[in-house]
Amino acid sequence: MLAVRNLAVRYGPIQAVRDLTLEVRPGEIVALIGANGAGKTSAVKAIAGLLPHTGTVSLGGQPLPRRAEYALRAGLALVPEGRGILGQMTVAENLRMGGYARRDRAGLEAAMEEQMRRFPILEQRRDKLAGLLSGGEQQMLAIGRALLSQPRLLVLDEPSLGLAPIMAARIFALVEELRATGVAILLVEQKARQVLKIADRAYVLETGTLRASGTASELAARGLLADAFLGTVTQAPPPA
Amino acid sequence: MISSYASGLLADTGIAFIAALSVHLVLAVGQLSLGNAAFMACGAYVASVLTVEHGVPVHAAIAAGAVVSGLLGVLVGFPALRLRGIYLAMATLGFGEMTRSFFLTLDATGGAAGYSGMQRLSLGAIWAWALPLLVLVLLAERSRLWLAMNAVRDDETAARLVGLDAVALKLGAFGVAAALAGVAGGLFAHWHIFIEPSAFALERSTEMVLAVVLGGSTVALGPLFGAAALVLAPEALRFIADWRLAAFGGLLIAILLVRPQGIIDRRLIQALKP
Repeated sequence: MLAVRNLAVRYGPIQAVRDLTLEVRPGEIVALIGANGAGKTSAVKAIAGLLPHTGTVSLGGQPLPRRAEYALRAGLALVPEGRGILGQMTVAENLRMGGYARRDRAGLEAAMEEQMRRFPILEQRRDKLAGLLSGGEQQMLAIGRALLSQPRLLVLDEPSLGLAPIMAARIFALVEELRATGVAILLVEQKARQVLKIADRAYVLETGTLRASGTASELAARGLLADAFLGTVTQAPPPA
Repeated sequence: MISSYASGLLADTGIAFIAALSVHLVLAVGQLSLGNAAFMACGAYVASVLTVEHGVPVHAAIAAGAVVSGLLGVLVGFPALRLRGIYLAMATLGFGEMTRSFFLTLDATGGAAGYSGMQRLSLGAIWAWALPLLVLVLLAERSRLWLAMNAVRDDETAARLVGLDAVALKLGAFGVAAALAGVAGGLFAHWHIFIEPSAFALERSTEMVLAVVLGGSTVALGPLFGAAALVLAPEALRFIADWRLAAFGGLLIAILLVRPQGIIDRRLIQALKP
């Protein structure tokens, strides 16, 4: 499905991501975790075509276009950090925009109704300005909108950011439900322990470099999560 | 029978409306241009030279002026649309002044002395351009394309993430806006039957923006009301003689304080619907 090889992202002299190689297989939920500033968002922005980068990114064996608008048409939908809601448009207009690139326009209305059924709150808020929704509602709208482009891979960047724990739990439950629809998911998160409960595999980034990868239990067993979030712990020298 | 004074005001309103529509289109993709008078100048000079020196029928000449202005808009848009907000406003302002200076030094079109010899258009001919353009933009505002343009205005990154080619949309809007300004220029030249570079200075560009801000930037009727207000209000205030421009300025401030979204917006239209 998604194959990323030797991805590197620079902001001028600062190397945000270096030599990142990762893979997401069909139907998988794969987590990309790490502390603030680890390079997670830069990595997914580059994969989705929002940032210039070196290395190769392919989806379904085909190189992914390096511009976001064409990456979406190739089957990769990114729900960005901050959700990327079009705040001056209504909920219905936001959803309609999600299907803008679809060729089967006749199917768009039916697909919109399907998303409204998936997220009943969106049906209730249909004609409200999206900018007036709560954070959790906006996140549902952002995910529903991304699904309307019929992606093969859904990339979610910090979907629980700024949400109350109960809403964050609902979002994670939703992500798990989405797996049943067949879409592969790359999930970027700081809430590592929650994410590892639903992810099949995870990659741990630390200061732009891939530090570890494996299944949740493997990562936990190797004690790498705390290192990634708290920094590598070194043994203090014995007192003289 | 309409008096020549009244027909002059109505003609100027029609021309100012088309010019304001050009700013309305650029604002629809979240850009602010302070150089649209340059495209108006281009349309005015191209159409005038075609009618006066080549005998081209006036409406064909105005259309040709619009095409040339539109192409110039796309050409300018390529580098300019890399900029945003105040930086784009400054860049387009610079382009406007550059264009005015170009016509000021171009002897072939009379330079500072201006250019004349055009046949005068009727008031009906001006509104025969303005009304269909209003209907076209009103129809466009109900389309998916307009929704896409507004998405780019709201959040360009989010728009790209739903598959919109933001660069193409901005460039297209800039090009069509320049063509509309070109039409306004061609009509201006063939109504006033005399043009000079100073008619297309920064003041003209700011008037276009003001008409949209005053009338409302969310629907094409806004520029129409804004243009009418800009042309007619100073005339309505003539009874206070020397104070009328000061009073007009005060009136503008008062309107924008009461209705910062402009005179007309979608909510007002919804409220007025039976």
